[in-house]
Amino acid sequence: MPHQRRLWIVLLLAWSLGPLLWQLYTSFCSDQALVAPLAATPERWTLAHYRAVLNSQPPFWRYLLNSLFVGTSSTLLTLVIALPAAYALTRLKPWIARPARLLLLAAALFPYVLLFLALLEVARSLHLGNNLLALSIPYAALSQPLAILLLTAAFRDLPLDLEDAARLEGMRLWQRLRWVLIPLIAPATTSTAILVFLFSWNEYPIALTWISDASLLTLPVAMARIAGSSIYSVPYGAYAAATVLGSIPLVLLVLVFQKSIVSGLTSGAVKG
Amino acid sequence: MILLLGPAGLLLLVVFAAPLLHYAWLSYHADSVVTGLEPVLNHGANWIRLLQDQRFWQDATQTLRFALVSVGVELLLALAIALLLDQRWRGRGAVRAIALIPWALPTTVMALGWRWIFNTPYGPLDQLAHALGWPSLNLLASPAITWIATVVGDVWKTTPFAALILLAGLQTIPGDLYEALRLEGGSSWVCFRRITLPLLRPYLALALLFRLAQAFGVFDLIQVMTGGGPASSTESLALYAYLNAMRFLDFGYSATVVSGSFLLLLGLCLGGWLLSLGLSRPQRQQEV
Repeated sequence: MPHQRRLWIVLLLAWSLGPLLWQLYTSFCSDQALVAPLAATPERWTLAHYRAVLNSQPPFWRYLLNSLFVGTSSTLLTLVIALPAAYALTRLKPWIARPARLLLLAAALFPYVLLFLALLEVARSLHLGNNLLALSIPYAALSQPLAILLLTAAFRDLPLDLEDAARLEGMRLWQRLRWVLIPLIAPATTSTAILVFLFSWNEYPIALTWISDASLLTLPVAMARIAGSSIYSVPYGAYAAATVLGSIPLVLLVLVFQKSIVSGLTSGAVKG
Repeated sequence: MILLLGPAGLLLLVVFAAPLLHYAWLSYHADSVVTGLEPVLNHGANWIRLLQDQRFWQDATQTLRFALVSVGVELLLALAIALLLDQRWRGRGAVRAIALIPWALPTTVMALGWRWIFNTPYGPLDQLAHALGWPSLNLLASPAITWIATVVGDVWKTTPFAALILLAGLQTIPGDLYEALRLEGGSSWVCFRRITLPLLRPYLALALLFRLAQAFGVFDLIQVMTGGGPASSTESLALYAYLNAMRFLDFGYSATVVSGSFLLLLGLCLGGWLLSLGLSRPQRQQEV
């Protein structure tokens, strides 16, 4: 059994990392080595692709910063709106709360890609295009269903006595939330924040249609632009270097917060 | 209390309900370069065009094929991965984290990575075929098989998410159940059939529903990996709607395509739900 299990683990790791490792390998290969991988080439390894990516105009780290900014602002906006809503859902009468939760589940399942056209018109009429901060409005909205469902599950686990005690102490609703309830669901808030951050960092169709200014592109759109620049010759070496650089922050995030992501999604799925 | 729901409710109305209503309205209007990008009522002309639009129906079948195959493969893999990650062994945390990496990366990033892996003749797969003396796979240039390449890309990216949901389900199953059945002499296969699978059913249903809806709206992967080609053999409904709006600047018809896709999805969910009702009923009697 242990041998068999080790085989499965190796297979899983190969499947998960293989395509990424191939990008890593490609990113260090010179162009000659890429088109003739088995032939003996004088200059096989190179850093030229990384140099090209970092010295391009705008430089690559710019996209990372843009994505970081959008991710952070969307996450904050999402939590500010979703925390009170989730609390309200646990305290409302079931005949409101239950249909509300069903609607939220339906919205969470909805393939939001279908909304991009109407959202684009909103952006045009309100002049929200080419504005990174404005991008966090649709992101926060699209994240609401999942965020509220996950946070509701956490609020529901808190004993009601706790809030009653705080009320007897003379704390108002806002104070109870701020000082008692929200600190107690910090783990669920963390995992929700990470999921929202990942979504905002990775979102593509809305960023694609809202942002056209090259210096404001988020990472996914910038990567796709390299692909779309020509159908016939994609600069695969430079692209692989960009993939590696763009993946590092997310890989670190997942490695650090693995427990939080797993527990957040699992507890949400159990109760949702 | 209802005030606390206000901002979230407003945001959801603006981003989910308003666009859907807007689409329904716009689908009865001509709104393209011809009309000067102003909506002009054209009654049901868009919808008649949709019903006769071969490309729409071709994309609908392709999207459905993509969604069903990719979600089916994904759930099988996810179940295996979840079972593996649920067992206790050293280094499990690290492997869980690594298994999550494909899901955490932006789709567009690896979409192009896959294009390179499937590249003819320089990609590793073709190189391997060449080294073995096989003909080139030509995976991205033959309309009959390119969709399989997109399925591979999608399965790679989204299996971890499905595995997480199933892992959540596995963690709710009390270990005593297995011990009891094992004392009665049940093998691991019997345990899996009689305990794991039945208790996992709600989570399988959740993962299935969630992934099916998302796969039905596939856009990023297809747009970057194949651009819908070759010969629009991998084009999805979302991509067709996007092309209508952004390339052909026909917003009225794009709205009709979106509305049509939405109705198809609704029908699909309803069908799936009825099917699951039909499937679960005899099962429940068996358990009793």
